[in-house]
Amino acid sequence: MSSSELPDAAPTAIDCLTAVRRLWDYLDGRLSVAAHDEVEAHLAVCAKCPPHFTFAERMKRSLAERTGTEISSDDATRLRDRVRGALARFALEGDSEE
Amino acid sequence: MELDETGDTNASAGRRSAGPMEFERLALPYLGDVARFARSLTRDASRADDLVQETFLQALRGWHTFRPGADIKPWLMSICHHAFLYITKRDARYVEAPEDDPELDSLATARAHNVAYNSGIGAIIDQMDLGPALDRAMGALAEHFRGVVVLVDVEGQSYEDAAAILGIAVGTVRSRLFRARRLLQDMLFEYARDAGFETARAPIASASARTSRRTSTEPLPAKGREDAT
Repeated sequence: MSSSELPDAAPTAIDCLTAVRRLWDYLDGRLSVAAHDEVEAHLAVCAKCPPHFTFAERMKRSLAERTGTEISSDDATRLRDRVRGALARFALEGDSEE
Repeated sequence: MELDETGDTNASAGRRSAGPMEFERLALPYLGDVARFARSLTRDASRADDLVQETFLQALRGWHTFRPGADIKPWLMSICHHAFLYITKRDARYVEAPEDDPELDSLATARAHNVAYNSGIGAIIDQMDLGPALDRAMGALAEHFRGVVVLVDVEGQSYEDAAAILGIAVGTVRSRLFRARRLLQDMLFEYARDAGFETARAPIASASARTSRRTSTEPLPAKGREDAT
């Protein structure tokens, strides 16, 4: 998409449309260095786009903090016993079938 | 799927008899990972436990197809996700429309944000605790979208690892993820509109705003995507 692949060239100026099309790729760190720099340069001078990026980043961060589904050690032990029991039953039944 | 059993029947026969114990030794250490994934997918502790048990049973059943030395964790996660889609009877073979352009979802995300702020709910969004709202939105998200968000955004897996677990192409992870995030954001803005509407009608009852349902008389412009940023 970009023609500025030269290492030391200043980032090509991109418009809002191009910048926001790259929003999620930018936040996921999956843009080329040149494309990433173009977005950064645009965000530095644009008044409209930064809030969109800030909110998207806030949402992404909140999702990353959703790892609150940690399982207590009691639950883990109980679940492990349950799965072990089920596997043992299955192994017995499986053997008898063969 | 290429299985070693086709080439080496002796090894396969030997492994089958020693199977269950070997399986337990190698697979059970990942029980915690599978359990956490199952809880994120099902949003319910009891259903998650059933799913974990089903995952390990299916894994043991398919143990003879597992390539020795391969990574067990993504294999188990993949079985878990398939079992989840099967149990929920949702479109397990969901296929993206070929014309889907993930960048359009990026664009739509920014535009929806623009529309929401222009409609006057910016202050509510800024003050909104996104955590509980996202929990609710994740519960409402279609199952085939939930898996990719859980893997990439919640669990922090790479697109490549998520693709391996979900059995889809990396490009599909990207398009599904962008669409899912846009849907999540749309729901957050909808909750904000509900909260704003409730507050305007009955400021005292604002505590109930979080659980309120959307009313049919939408007071604010719906998601127009025409306003450019």
